[in-house]
Amino acid sequence: MLNTSRALLLFGLLGSSLAHAMDYRIETVTEGLEHPWSLAFLPDGRMLVTERVGRLRIIEQDGSLNPQPVGGVPEGFVAAQAGLMEVLLDPAFASNQQLYLSYAYGTTQANNTRLSKARLVDGQLQDVQVLFTAQPAKSGAAHYGGRMAWLPDNTLVLTLGDGFDWREQAQNTSNHLGKIVRLNRDGSAPKDNPLVGQSGAAAEIYSLGHRNVQGIVYDNQLQRLYSHEHGPRGGDELNLIEPGNNYGWPLITYGIDYTGAQISPYTELPGLQQPLLHWTPSVAPSSLTIYRGALFPEWQGDLFASTLAERSVRRIRLQDGKLAGEDVLFEELEERIRDVRVGPDGALYLLTDSADGRLLRVVPSQ
Amino acid sequence: MPSKLRTLLYFFLAVLLASVMGTVLQTQFNLANLQALGAPMPLGVRVQTTCLDLLGFSPTFAILVILGFIFALPAASLLARLWPMGRWLLFTLAGALAVLAAMALANALLPMPTLIGANRTLAGTVGLMACGSLGALLFAGLMRRSSPAQS
Repeated sequence: MLNTSRALLLFGLLGSSLAHAMDYRIETVTEGLEHPWSLAFLPDGRMLVTERVGRLRIIEQDGSLNPQPVGGVPEGFVAAQAGLMEVLLDPAFASNQQLYLSYAYGTTQANNTRLSKARLVDGQLQDVQVLFTAQPAKSGAAHYGGRMAWLPDNTLVLTLGDGFDWREQAQNTSNHLGKIVRLNRDGSAPKDNPLVGQSGAAAEIYSLGHRNVQGIVYDNQLQRLYSHEHGPRGGDELNLIEPGNNYGWPLITYGIDYTGAQISPYTELPGLQQPLLHWTPSVAPSSLTIYRGALFPEWQGDLFASTLAERSVRRIRLQDGKLAGEDVLFEELEERIRDVRVGPDGALYLLTDSADGRLLRVVPSQ
Repeated sequence: MPSKLRTLLYFFLAVLLASVMGTVLQTQFNLANLQALGAPMPLGVRVQTTCLDLLGFSPTFAILVILGFIFALPAASLLARLWPMGRWLLFTLAGALAVLAAMALANALLPMPTLIGANRTLAGTVGLMACGSLGALLFAGLMRRSSPAQS
């Protein structure tokens, strides 16, 4: 009986491996990255990678890691979840060399998320300018959000977190805790932001009621903004973000607290948005992208969410904009995955989250 | 009943009281926060949430109470022998400090800034400490009943 079970297990594992092997191949592009967080593709074929410990690195066209980190990166607050987070290129980067960095700033007692822009010139950041600082400064080193995406009007959305201890503030429109904000490229709040003109409300707010949003992507084709956020124990969410909407945290949630305590008795309340889907138990979604590439025709238009706890990438299949199921990919790596991107070559790029993190490239096996 | 077994039983009852009271308090603090945000909170929802927390949260809190009481109750017993007049005060303080120290230790060791929701505010923290005091006072009372000569 035991032998039969082993044989079946072996057969199953082989079958699973073969199925994967037929679909894709994973190549290591670069090693030796210290908790890499975010990847950006430069027009000349090089790549930029942030390391949470505060370094911005250049990966050359041949995949080698430039030993000299980019100079001039603004000094941030590095502790636990805090540090340098996303690097995002300006839509006109090829002509203006501008990029945007999100990072934690401050001290253990007073910190939050900050956004700066700078020009990348000869491996150095120049003209660094702080554009936005989330308010208020709070203590602790958890829940910063930090992901960014461009909207078609060249405004930028930046995700934020509730700081963990301040979850009720995600419902307070006078501050930035637990919000997604929308900014002009100079850091100002667009005049058509949803709460502009509302007495006491922070003009930068685009949506509210979030916990810790670490994935956001705009689908140009369907003109939709998707994001995902970490729940507590359970209740990780994928949301369709619309301006002014309240996504409910902590009034409604499908998760419970790490202690086993109820966060809320409610999963639904009037006026609060339901997630498109929730992951319970938690997978810890860490970044989000949409596949529009040439190498994997069957993946067209699907969302890909990297995960930390599940150590996978979730492929969220969409058909005509509607959810059509999920696949769990790349579990064989057995690594926390911090970022997932679609490269200009149509390959899927992954960053593994560890002190010796790697940049991986997923290509068709044939 | 052998005295060691009896002490263990009283210790268990003290932990039980502190954990149940702490759980009920934690739930009410949390629900009050949600109510302040506009969530409806009828009695049925309140009772149901409290029951779920007694099942889900009280074991976590009990671990912290045990960690604190293991040191605090023997220390209070020892000090009470040296200062019999201060027995109730000593156990009140011991229970409160036991819970405070256990929560502080958990917050220092775990990745989240504050483990227990009610511990985020002064009022909640004092409330949880008071639950520790109740447990410790129960222990003191039971021990005194079984060994009246000690008081």
